[in-house]
Amino acid sequence: MSTAAQALAEAAQPIHPPPTSFWRQYVFSIDHKVIAKQFLWAGLLFLLVGGTLAMLIRWQWAYPYRPVPVIGQLFLRENGGVIGPATYQQIFTTHGLIMIFFAVTPVLIGCFGNFLIPLMIGARDMAFPKLNMYSFWTFLLSQLLVLASFFTDLGSAGAGWTTYPPLSTNVGTPGPGQTLVVAAIFVTGVSSTMGAINYVTTVIRMRAPGMGYMRLPLTMWGLWLTAILNALFVPVLGSAALLLLLDRNFGTQFFVAGASAVRGGGDPILFQHLFWIFGHPEVYILILPAWGILGDVIPFFARKPHHWYKGTVWAMVIVTVLSAMVYGHHMFMTGMSPLLGEGFMLFTLLISAPSMVVVLNWALTLWRASIRFDTPMLFALATVFVFGVGGLTGLFLADISMDLYLHDTMFVVGHFHFTMAAASFIGAMTGVYFWFPKIFGRKLDERLGKAHFWFTFVGITLVFAGQLLAGYAGQQRRLFDPFQYTFIQGLRGLNRWTSFFAFALFAGQFIFVWNFFKTLFGKAVPAGENPWQVTTLEWTATGSPPPFHNFDRIPEVVRGPHEFSNPEVRRLTGRDFAGQSEVLPGSAGPALAAARG
Amino acid sequence: MTAAPLPEHGYGLPHDVSVDGFRVDELIHFTLAAITVIFVVVAASLIWSFVKHRSGPALYSHGTRGSIGLVVGAVALVLVGVDGNLFIHTLGDMHQYFWNFKSAEAAQGAVLIEVNAHQWSWDARYPGADGRFGTPDDVITTDDIRIPVGVPVVVQLASTDVIHSLYLPNLRVKQDAVPGTITRITFQAKIPGEYEIACAQHCGPNHYKMRAVLTVLAPDAFRNWLADAGEDARRAYDPEDKEAHWGWEWRRFEP
Ligand SMILES: [Cu+2]
Ligand SMILES: [Cu+2]
Repeated sequence: MSTAAQALAEAAQPIHPPPTSFWRQYVFSIDHKVIAKQFLWAGLLFLLVGGTLAMLIRWQWAYPYRPVPVIGQLFLRENGGVIGPATYQQIFTTHGLIMIFFAVTPVLIGCFGNFLIPLMIGARDMAFPKLNMYSFWTFLLSQLLVLASFFTDLGSAGAGWTTYPPLSTNVGTPGPGQTLVVAAIFVTGVSSTMGAINYVTTVIRMRAPGMGYMRLPLTMWGLWLTAILNALFVPVLGSAALLLLLDRNFGTQFFVAGASAVRGGGDPILFQHLFWIFGHPEVYILILPAWGILGDVIPFFARKPHHWYKGTVWAMVIVTVLSAMVYGHHMFMTGMSPLLGEGFMLFTLLISAPSMVVVLNWALTLWRASIRFDTPMLFALATVFVFGVGGLTGLFLADISMDLYLHDTMFVVGHFHFTMAAASFIGAMTGVYFWFPKIFGRKLDERLGKAHFWFTFVGITLVFAGQLLAGYAGQQRRLFDPFQYTFIQGLRGLNRWTSFFAFALFAGQFIFVWNFFKTLFGKAVPAGENPWQVTTLEWTATGSPPPFHNFDRIPEVVRGPHEFSNPEVRRLTGRDFAGQSEVLPGSAGPALAAARG
Repeated sequence: MTAAPLPEHGYGLPHDVSVDGFRVDELIHFTLAAITVIFVVVAASLIWSFVKHRSGPALYSHGTRGSIGLVVGAVALVLVGVDGNLFIHTLGDMHQYFWNFKSAEAAQGAVLIEVNAHQWSWDARYPGADGRFGTPDDVITTDDIRIPVGVPVVVQLASTDVIHSLYLPNLRVKQDAVPGTITRITFQAKIPGEYEIACAQHCGPNHYKMRAVLTVLAPDAFRNWLADAGEDARRAYDPEDKEAHWGWEWRRFEP
């Protein structure tokens, strides 16, 4: 029996027959679940590329001027396997860009956003399924542009991931490689914008009956707010990239200025404003989905409702609003007006408040819980740790006085790796281990998962702590050979040990690769509908993997996302959880339960 | 004179040779202490939860008035006690010392220097005996900046190609050099010696080589050096060498 609200939802989203041709099913699919997998593959592949580039950077700092084993023989043959300064700047530039735009973004936002939004809000697909498909293929084009840049004369982009002009104009980085990469940023921006519009619309328009905003799983809040930030600020990045392309290839001078070597009446700082209006929200674009995932996974495995759910929701909303008002902290040293600098410093310090609310709510969720330490939970707890370290070290960098010394040092690198890289990567891994059974219908091996966890957690902590220490001692970022400086020479051992930990961290990731393929293609038992015994719609209202149309019947939501250890539920069902659309035996049906709230 | 700054000992902050660097160091140490306390408290509560509550029935609670009050209270405490303290201190330090170019320029015996950053070195210009920039007695050096101990130094920074950043680790200051504009930095050394000048902003393949040396001299030694160098500069002045005439009229600081 279905309620009137359900009947309306059914009428709005009728079941379409699944496509039958191979191309429509697996390649040019408009099914959000297939597109999610496409983003997952594309992202994981580039994670490997970006990780390999990181290993080259670490090799250079451990053994400057010495030939790189294996990779050197493959890609740096003309240089005897040795990394030179020009190659080095391409390595760190593309490492940053690939990790941010082409690896973490597609996994966290492209894969989880696509897969989870319709399933967690109880919809049959995205609001604009075709736009979704275009978003993926546009994204793939941008990845290909990045790959192509490596094979041009003079190589790939070398102006740093921040791409500051005039260095990123023909003055500093001539050649088609930098042009291709700037074009790739523009194209991936188009893809992100399409995806963002789709996500925002879907969450607003297609929530199942009863799924009020305050019943959304926190993953949905994270992904939705991220999509809003993307829709607002990625176009700003796009315009900066476009103007830069005009400067590079059509002789305009938006960002070119200077005296003898470069004449021009433009303003290099204008680019920095445009870049960071996007760039600081980007930090939250990557962290909000991870926060959201944690906001669900922690209560799921603590078997306890999320502490002060509304507080976390509002904290995430406030972070979203403030995120565009703090970007100036990246520009304290450009000679900006002191008053402006102080304003940005004030907002940057203020944004720590909602972040603290989020973290303390996790801590209180875990208080007097009944914790299950499965692999997803281990990754979730590690994310809390690395995000905590990242957030706390951010306090130094919010402050202009301390930035006089710390800005542009390895301390900044360590800080944003803890937040943007470690927290978003381990957060993404939390999601991969947790939703893998739903995406593929099989559960990843727990023992391999735990081995992968320890390598990742310990490795990442040591590597980025090494960066923080080097920066604390004053080492600048982006140095081909840091030891040219006398004051850094004492840090040789530190840099080398950090590299060793990085190599171990990288090697440990192959445990995951092995686990992934073994589970996917080896013998495995089906995961079952709800292997983690949790509450949200994707686990309680459909199978693993879900059918093409997601739900045989669109569910009617009757309660919040974290109903665990409720004594009433236990008395009625003998279980410690109740699904979001579950009608408990003896209660009067969904309509009445919905009316009661 | 060959310049030979000494390596630093240990992994901490490089030794401070400036008059105002301790203001930065004090904030760093305060922040370090504060975040250590926060980290230990939160970590201890988590570990307690892991060990103590790992099994047994979970508490059924979405948060009580008391526990929400705990969150709000803790956040307010940190916001006022840590963030607020940082903000107030930094406002004072910026206005009175680090960005107070007005009083630095006006100080008795203040040394004014123009620095032109370019790929990949630092050209410095001193006004010479006439006290004016852009005249034949200007002293010009490359990757070699000399200053007297104990008086404020004000540098106006320019760049002719890409963005660089003048960074003095032992004096806890840095400032970007941006093509098309002139930026300022001020500092004051208190211990004579030789220290490194670094470029902190990625500026091309040889960014790592954009190193220079700051020599802090006793006041007499500085005066003698500048006088001698001024004489040499006047003799060596070549009106045809346009490349060497990059100086500009000093721009008085007007906020
Ligand atoms: Cu930022
Ligand atoms: Cu430079």
